[in-house]
Formats: sequence, structure tokens, C-alpha cells
Amino acid sequence: MRDQKYIRRLTRDLPQWVERGWVQPGAEQNILAYAESQHTGNERMVIALTLMGVLLLGSGIITFFAAHWAGMSKLVKLLVLFGGMSSTYIAAGITTARGNLPRLSQGLWLLGVILFGANIMLIAQIYNIDSHYPNGVLLWALGGLLVAYVIPVQATLNAAICLALLWTGMESMDFNRNFHWPFLLFWLACLPLIYRHSWLRALHLALLALLLWSSFSYSNILWDYQGSVQQGAPLYLMQIYFLGYLALFVGGLLLEQREDTRKLAPITQHYAVFAALCAFFALTFPEIQRSYTWLHGAEGRMPANAVWLGVTLLAAAVLAALVRKQQLARPAAPVPTYLKWGRALLAALLALMLVNLFLPGSAGGQMALAFNLLFFAALVWLLFHALHSGDRTLLNFSFLFFAAWLLSRYFDTFWTLLDRSMFFIAGGLVLMAGGYFLEGQRRKFNQRIVQAREQ
Amino acid sequence: MNNIKLTLRVLLILAVQIVALLGMIGIKQWTLNSGTPVILETAPIDPRSLFSGDYVRLNYTISTLTLDPLAGDKEFKRHDTVYVVLQAAEPYATPVSAHHQMPQLASGQVALKGEVEYASNTRWNQQTRQLEPVKNLSVHYGIENYYVPEGSGRALERPVDNARVSVRVAVDRFGGAGISAILLNGKERYVEKLL
Repeated sequence: MRDQKYIRRLTRDLPQWVERGWVQPGAEQNILAYAESQHTGNERMVIALTLMGVLLLGSGIITFFAAHWAGMSKLVKLLVLFGGMSSTYIAAGITTARGNLPRLSQGLWLLGVILFGANIMLIAQIYNIDSHYPNGVLLWALGGLLVAYVIPVQATLNAAICLALLWTGMESMDFNRNFHWPFLLFWLACLPLIYRHSWLRALHLALLALLLWSSFSYSNILWDYQGSVQQGAPLYLMQIYFLGYLALFVGGLLLEQREDTRKLAPITQHYAVFAALCAFFALTFPEIQRSYTWLHGAEGRMPANAVWLGVTLLAAAVLAALVRKQQLARPAAPVPTYLKWGRALLAALLALMLVNLFLPGSAGGQMALAFNLLFFAALVWLLFHALHSGDRTLLNFSFLFFAAWLLSRYFDTFWTLLDRSMFFIAGGLVLMAGGYFLEGQRRKFNQRIVQAREQ
Repeated sequence: MNNIKLTLRVLLILAVQIVALLGMIGIKQWTLNSGTPVILETAPIDPRSLFSGDYVRLNYTISTLTLDPLAGDKEFKRHDTVYVVLQAAEPYATPVSAHHQMPQLASGQVALKGEVEYASNTRWNQQTRQLEPVKNLSVHYGIENYYVPEGSGRALERPVDNARVSVRVAVDRFGGAGISAILLNGKERYVEKLL
């Protein structure tokens, strides 16, 4: 349904706009055609009302069966469950075949996946199946992934990713799996669909899920519920996260090179840079470098064992290979200076991280100092990269992390040196003045990016 | 995508998902049909845990194991898999050993697979009001919940007077278990059926 009132007004106004030179002659037909093709608030209202109707109908049906559930035999219950799910999928198939109601068909596919999950839970209840409950969520997620592959529908992949996140959250938090590797297999299985169909929402969700999985694993390693983690493991894991997410960022740069994956590049880069900066920022803290914990006492960490060394080397090798590939894939143009010293910075970081694996916790203070210097250099590099590539999100990240870094170093340095009242007064003044200056600089750089785009 | 292709795809989704759901039922039914039946004694449930809707929470005397008098392995951690060997006896099966791996079984024995919920080296003695150095495990076997018709669960969770609630459990050769009947004073109150 189109907004006829708006179109009538456009039809009346456009000739005047052409006459005044605001619109190029001939463009008015394109504008009108565009306006006629747009969905309007009225259509959204129809969709919203339909959706509410479906929800009410669904609630009524569920309430009816819930009220009569206890009186039904198992056979009737199974027929209701399988019948409901089958008819939903068949309806989804019919609407997909007709093709005139794409949103309804997507909703029906999603409803089918939801009913599959409901059936898992209800069958577990009917047959008193009380096994390892995350497996039920995994089965549900696999059902969603199946629909996403077979049809394909983005909404069902989104649901599958959310369910997989719930599954790994249960395994990590309720069963304290240090590394819940099977989640990575599921995650990797989602990627071909995302890249084949350029599903941006699913990419957002998949990257967010990866970040959360990383934090679940880090939390379990940090608290060491199993009592089987080597001292210093949280530090070594943080280094691996940094290398891994940096590799993902370079992977994002590679996506830019291909026409069919270009749309996915900025999202991949943004999540990867955010995660890599979080990991790098954590590495600037002396406490993490020393790894003094209430579990391991004041001795701090020991040099890394062969496993941590091996995984770190593997991550570094993958990163180096991707950087090399990115260099080769670049168009034959002069390499910007910032990229050259970015490589030098990366080499210095890799060397520092490898050396760090062999040092005891007593060297944590010096290592933290070195990481702080490199973190600052990395933020400056990111600023240059953001300006060069015209990426405002990366620019904002560099300012955000710079502000966080400045604030935390202020706390680290002056918390014990200054009187408490002086600490807060000086801190407040620094925060206000620094915030004003940084925001001014950020806006200035943002403006430069906007101007460069317009040119 | 043409209509035939789409129909085949819908059928594929339905077939896979229905087989998965039937598989859940099939595995459970296989345990009940092929498993060795043993009678387990229930213990009073924690009075703080509330009756939850239409299912009873069952606590067994073997849910908390004292390792010292048992044979087998002695060191367990939280979330470890544990195989508890039960000797069929009257009126209830009794635990004889606990293991990390499925053990060799003698005649009249079954091995029930569970997961360690808590492992502790001390136990609070109510009488002496002191901690005792006793290795004990709290184990989850996957037979702790049983769905019953609405309103009838409380009689099983909180039996009155001298009523005894026991559970007949079928244990398959892999240690998997399923409740085949709930017994009240030795008589079948609820019996699991396929349909």
C-alpha cells in the first residue's frame, strides 16, 4: 500500500522543483517511481495487526491445549505436536511458493522452528526425559540451522545462532566447560550461509555470539573451576584472543577485495577490531601481566607450557599468513606510510607476546609498560587507518579506547599517590578538559571523513 | 526454486525434525524395554525446594554417596561422569562401587551413569555438629524429575504417615536409566507406557 497523499503532493511539487533547478530535468519520474515503490506506515500497520492477530490466535490455541493437556493420551499429544509443526511448515512452503507474502512466509518458517523447540521440550516432559538439558537446546539450534540451509531463510539462521549461544552459555556457565569447542563447529557451519546470501543481521549475531563465547571461556579459565588450568593461563589466552581477532580483522580487509563479499567487510572489521582492542587493553594492566590471583597466590604466573606456546604460535602464523595474503591482494599502488609502520608495529607486538610466554609474573610490571606503549601506538595507527579508509566507526573506537586507557592509567598511577579528595578533584578536571578536547578532535576527524566522501 | 523442489525441501525438513523427535522417544523406550529393572529408595527432598507445577522432584538415597565404604575410584570432581554399580537386593538396590569408566559387572549388578554435581571431602554431622573428613558425592542420574497429572505430585514428594515412595528404574547396558514405574508402598502408582 502506497502513501497516495504524499505521491499526489510530489506530483504537484516536482515540476516546480525542476523549474527552480533543485531537481534535474528527467529525474522527477525516477523520484515518483521510487516513492510509489516504498512501503508506508499503513502497510506496517497492517503487518503489525496481522502479527498481533497471529499471536492472539497462537496464544488461544496454546491455552486451549494446555487446559486439556492432562486429559489427552500420549498418542493424541504426539499427533497435536507433530500436526502443529507439520502444518506450519506446509503453510510456510505454500506462502513461499506463491511468493506474494515474503514476510509472512519468513514468519511461518520461524514459527516452524519455534514449534520444533516446543516439541522437544514437550516430548521430554511427556516421556520423562531428564538428560543433559543443553543437548535439547543444541537439537533445537540444529533444527533451525537445517531450515536455514534447506530453504534458505535468514530469520531461522538468526534463531539458530541465538540458540547456539544459549547452548554454549549453558555448557560454559552451568557445566563449567573451560573451552566449549563444539560451539565453534556450529559457528563455522553458519558462515557459508552468511557469506553466500550476504545476510548482514546473521553476521552481526554470529560475531556477537563469538565475542560472548570468548568471554564465557575467559571467565571459566580465570576462575578455574576445574582446578586444571596453568597459572598465567588468562594472560596467555588474552594474547591468543588478540591475535585471533586481529586475524579476523585482516580477514575483513580481505573481504573488501571481492565484490561479492564487500558488504560483509565493515561489520567483520568492526567486531574484530573491538574485540582485539578489548584484549589488547586488558594486556596493558600490570595485574593481568603478573597474574597474581587469589587462587595462585602472590607468586604470579609461570612461563607458558607447550600447549599455550603452540596455540600462540599457531595464531601468530595464521595472522602473518593473512597479512601476507592481504598485501598480495592489494591493488598495485604505492603502499601508504601508515601501513608500513603498522607492519613494524605488528612485528614488535608479536615479538613481545612471544617473549612474554617465557617470563615469570615478576616481569609483569615491565611487560605492562611495553604493552602500554604499543597500545598507544596501535590507537594512533587505527586513527590513521580510519582516516585513510573513511571508516567513522574505527575512528570512534580509537577515541573510545584512548579515553578508557587514559582513565585507567590515571587510576593506576594516582590512586595511591594522591590524597583521595585531590584524586577525585584532579580526575574530574582532567576528565572534563580531556573529554572536551577529545570530543573536539573526534568531531574534526569525523568531518574530514565526511568531506573526503563528498569529494 | 520450483514447486516440486520446494515440496521436497519441506518434506526433508519435516522428515529430519520428526525423526529427531521420534529418536528422543525411541532412545528412552529402548532403555525402558531393554534395561534391567532395579528398585531405588527415595529420600525426603530438600524442604526448601518447592513443588514445581506438574512434576515431582525425586531424591534417592543413592543421590548422595559416601565413597569410603564403596569400592572403585575415590577421586571425583564436579561435572565428572560417574558409574555407580548397584547390587539388586530386597527391598532396594544398594550401591557397591563408583567408577570413572563403565566397570565389569557381576551377576545381579547394574551400573547407573550419572554426573557429579558436588564432590566434597567433608560432611556435616548433625549429631556431633562438626565437620567430618568423609569423601562424598552428590550425583545427578537424569531420573530426578517425573511428570504427573496436575495436583497429584505433592503426595509423592511429601508422603504422609508411613507411606513409602520407591521408583522402579530400568538401567540399560550403557548406564542410561529411565523411570518405568513409581511405587507407593510397593504398589505401582504410575507406570510408564509408550502411548
